[in-house]
Amino acid sequence: MSSDPADNDTGGTITRQRPVYTESQVIMTTVKAVIPFVLTYGLFITFHGTGSPGGGFQGGALIASVVLMMAFAFGIESTREWLSNALVVGLGTVGVAIFAGIALVPMALGENFLEYTAYYPVLGDILGLKEYEFVKYGMEAVEIGGIALIVAGVLMGLFFALAAGVTPPNDTTPDTESAADTGAASNTNTMTGDIDTEGANK
Amino acid sequence: MSDALLPLLIAIPLLAAIFPLLLGLRFDRAGWPVAMATSLIVAGLAGRLAWAVSPASSGPQQFVHDLAGYPAPYGIELVGDGLSAILVVLISVVAVAVLISARTTGPDSNAFYSGLLLLTGGLLGMALTGDLFNLFVFLEIVGLVSYALIASSDDGRAAYGALKYLFLGTTGASLYLIGVGYALVATGTLNMGDMATELAAVGYSDPLVQAAFGFMLIGFMLKIAIFPLHTWQPDAYTYAPDTVSAFISALVSTTAAYALIRIAYDVFTVEFFAANPLITDAVLLVASISIVVGSLLALLQTDLKRVFAYSSVAQFGMILAAIGLQSETALFGAIIHLVGHGLMKATLFMGAGVLSSAYGAQTVADYAGLAKRAPITSGMMAVAGLALVGIPPSVGTLGKWFIALGAVEEGSWGVAAVIFISTLLTLTYIGRLLEALYFTQPAATDDDTGVAGDADGGSIVADGGDTEGSTAGDGITAIATERIVVVVVLAISTVALFGAADPLAAMLDPVFGRFFQ
Repeated sequence: MSSDPADNDTGGTITRQRPVYTESQVIMTTVKAVIPFVLTYGLFITFHGTGSPGGGFQGGALIASVVLMMAFAFGIESTREWLSNALVVGLGTVGVAIFAGIALVPMALGENFLEYTAYYPVLGDILGLKEYEFVKYGMEAVEIGGIALIVAGVLMGLFFALAAGVTPPNDTTPDTESAADTGAASNTNTMTGDIDTEGANK
Repeated sequence: MSDALLPLLIAIPLLAAIFPLLLGLRFDRAGWPVAMATSLIVAGLAGRLAWAVSPASSGPQQFVHDLAGYPAPYGIELVGDGLSAILVVLISVVAVAVLISARTTGPDSNAFYSGLLLLTGGLLGMALTGDLFNLFVFLEIVGLVSYALIASSDDGRAAYGALKYLFLGTTGASLYLIGVGYALVATGTLNMGDMATELAAVGYSDPLVQAAFGFMLIGFMLKIAIFPLHTWQPDAYTYAPDTVSAFISALVSTTAAYALIRIAYDVFTVEFFAANPLITDAVLLVASISIVVGSLLALLQTDLKRVFAYSSVAQFGMILAAIGLQSETALFGAIIHLVGHGLMKATLFMGAGVLSSAYGAQTVADYAGLAKRAPITSGMMAVAGLALVGIPPSVGTLGKWFIALGAVEEGSWGVAAVIFISTLLTLTYIGRLLEALYFTQPAATDDDTGVAGDADGGSIVADGGDTEGSTAGDGITAIATERIVVVVVLAISTVALFGAADPLAAMLDPVFGRFFQ
């Protein structure tokens, strides 16, 4: 940063206004009271969705909103440090891996992509489920292990990336490595890719 | 089980896209090896698919994979036939080529390689899906990743170009989705094969069916960048990093054009065109205007990447014209031209990337006399440029010849004349480049400011890499040898494919048998 972003007294030049964190008892108490319910509701929505209203996307968004609320109440930077970059990246990427794994294992068993009933001969006796129930629980697994994790991870990552803001590319940053990363991070907000580059700056 | 190749081709790059990010937590440079290994695997699978559907192997020439085991009209199916196999091979070859040259050029972040893998997976999905809504999903994956990759340059203008592309590209995808919605209302199905029979039952002159095709056509014209819907393309291609412009110019519009061919001939079929002469004429008219205006605009540009971008507008106009002609010959030419244009533009953009890294050359004037200093790269750009004009022997000749022949067979003399005019115009703007490269003495002062003025010149070119003799002079930045090798191989492939008309025709024979029963 060439100038202190929080400094508003540089007459003439327009500086980026970074919202300064103010500690508020009202917000902190409210958030503390609300988040257990939001998290429970998020999990509730996530675990429904195959046979009842709900779904991984909506549930994942609610779970991510818990982190967003904590960030507003306790400061974005401290929430980011508490949560750690690896966790945010891990949520998104492991979600994709679980989804792809569930989809690809049936192919290894000689069935079609995403064909849940292929698990029946292998896991049917162990889990004590009937063949048609594998469709339901297979979808449930994709929803909980795949979509909910991906959506939660990506939303948190996008939030932190947006909160960190964009460093202008012509900035006089000491090391070129982080300048290149900032360029990528500021521009790849449309995909999950920004999570790690973003965090690498901090 | 050759049909298992279809989901694997799509799932492997999409799954691999997480590893640059995941490994990036621990290693700084995990992206390139992961992306390269994945692309090689994909290229191997693509080769197997092409072999399996080719007449040389004894198996069936079309593979269908029902996702989750649900049969066709209800489930989503992936279809691999001769036409999609050609596209899949093109995508995987260009992906490998781009990655080879990306090793030293970057943008060197793990997120970039994730994006490149996601884009590859999305393009393969577009080429292999047999479901109209699934096509929209992959179209969106391709679009979103393209916007991010274009913006991955440090240049603020790249972000602007990407934003423009985002607005227009999303509009295009939405128009396509509206078209799919109309078709769904008319037929009650989303499966391409099933919809073809249902549309025939509904009747091709039904306003709902006409509107569905109209929306899909306009949506794809935006994605393909046909004049006057091309405005996103020059900025996107010009300001994107060299690696990205080579990849996107070679593949993204190409795959969208493939999807339009698939929808026009496999879903709506030639009978739809026969029943709606007005739509056919409109397609031919818009395509002809795009050819002429695209070529003229290319002629007016000074920035070389912008010349190539407008040239794409003209070349895709030619492909759209071939789609409207409903002639087997012209469509064969269109498919050859899709492949050829992809390879030629990849060569030209990568060649331009090499010369701009080494000498900071951006405008056509900057290229003055570079043939003496970089004979190999300049020579290969000249080969690809002449192929684009259509000088034999080259793949460009084949494509243009068959499209023009189809136009003459159908009695569309206007289209044939437009193609002829466009060839002359292409010769003019490629001639400008050749004149600068070979017959203009570099003005010493101009050249110096060109290099010095480009602040990024030093930072683009990275580590190690053997210095090629021809580019070593005058304290100019060294270029990794493999970047030049890739340009050479791609340029030679545009010439070598001149002999590929017969094998391609054999491969497309069953597909065309279905298109033109």
